[in-house]
Amino acid sequence: MVAPDLVSEDDIAKLIMPDDLSDESALKTYIEVKVYDKEGHLIQHHRQPMRSLTQYFLALMSIPIIGTYTGSSANQAQSILTSLFGLPSQQYTYNYYSANILWDWSLVLGSGTQSFSPTLTSLAAPISNGTGAGELYYGPFGVSYTATSITATITVINYSASTITITEIGLKATIYLQYQNSSNQTTYNTYNFLLTYDTFSTPISLPPNGIASFQITITFTG
Amino acid sequence: MMIGKGNNDINVDIPNDAYDTGKDIPTFSAYLIAIVRDSTGKVIKVHKQKSHSSTANFIGLLLPLTWFRNTGSSFTMTNINNGTCSYSPNIGLNPECISYPNTYMNRPTYMATIQVGSGSQPNPSSAISLAAPIANGSGSGQLIYYPPLLPATATVSGNSVYFYISQEFSNQSGATITVAEVGIVLQLWLTNVNNSNYTNCGQVLVWYDVFSSPISVPNGGGIAIYYTFTVNP
Repeated sequence: MVAPDLVSEDDIAKLIMPDDLSDESALKTYIEVKVYDKEGHLIQHHRQPMRSLTQYFLALMSIPIIGTYTGSSANQAQSILTSLFGLPSQQYTYNYYSANILWDWSLVLGSGTQSFSPTLTSLAAPISNGTGAGELYYGPFGVSYTATSITATITVINYSASTITITEIGLKATIYLQYQNSSNQTTYNTYNFLLTYDTFSTPISLPPNGIASFQITITFTG
Repeated sequence: MMIGKGNNDINVDIPNDAYDTGKDIPTFSAYLIAIVRDSTGKVIKVHKQKSHSSTANFIGLLLPLTWFRNTGSSFTMTNINNGTCSYSPNIGLNPECISYPNTYMNRPTYMATIQVGSGSQPNPSSAISLAAPIANGSGSGQLIYYPPLLPATATVSGNSVYFYISQEFSNQSGATITVAEVGIVLQLWLTNVNNSNYTNCGQVLVWYDVFSSPISVPNGGGIAIYYTFTVNP
């Protein structure tokens, strides 16, 4: 796009607001669900676009893009990490040692609904891990990737005696900030966030002894 | 949504809403903006386009711990000089993870530069460097790189949240320079917590775009590049 001449910095600032291009997204995300009954029959196959990334997703994405430091000589954390994640601007370390950062993800399911906000931190009504009434047994969580996408998958089993209805899904992140403490022991602080939140366009019903796989795929190339 | 009677995936019709319609609602956007000024400082061109391309290095750095644990594998980062390093974060004393600012040791992971170039390449996700980087300087074919400007914080606007980065470049080369490609370069340090293991991975390309039309920067003028990253635009 070529715009007319700009006369002020205000004009330029307006360009930064990303609201005037309508072509395809740089990132597509979708959720896919397969539900099997106790005999292994596929009874429901659901796929929908994901609509709701939180500000914490943006903050996590910022680490591979702009790093954790503000510069080569400034031993200070990026302001996005301190303001959105609440991470310290400097992590205490013992005796000239270092600190590092890593993260893990998990998929969580729920039976409630709530309005989306970029600051959401949890599902409306998370379904607990277990075999009791209203609980789901969460199987192994898996992650795979391609050159342009990352996919997260979890399989759940309903060992309860009643059908369980799943209406919401979220991708959670736990950030680990590791360091040597004052006793020279390796330790870490954790920070938990919700990266995505969506409600299903139609609820997912999982019958007793049924199995369901939930998959979120995030594609970074449009 | 569909209720079927098939056994596993065999002979089960896929419901219409299970197909990728290509009409997904955007949940994220990245924009690339270039503002060109002439030698008097007058803006002579504004170019704005969708940014489309993370690189493999970006994907590897975003992977969660689960992938590394489940696979027992590491991710090989390739820097702009074609050097490699192995990324395999984990909890504990020994694993090398992305460095974080701390009270003592400074092995910084930071955005080194927005780099501009005069070439292009067809598969951005596999790019490890720009096709034809424009060097920093005032010689022929060069642009003077000013330091990148980083976000003070993310901006919230309704359900949208965004941040942007920018960098300016000045053309003192004596001739017009054409910019055709741009990328974001991260200086990456991996370290464990007691300094017994650490690796300087060097500068890695994490984002790459080719301009939809090349941009001419006149002698004596300059170009400013803005990248904007937004969730829920």
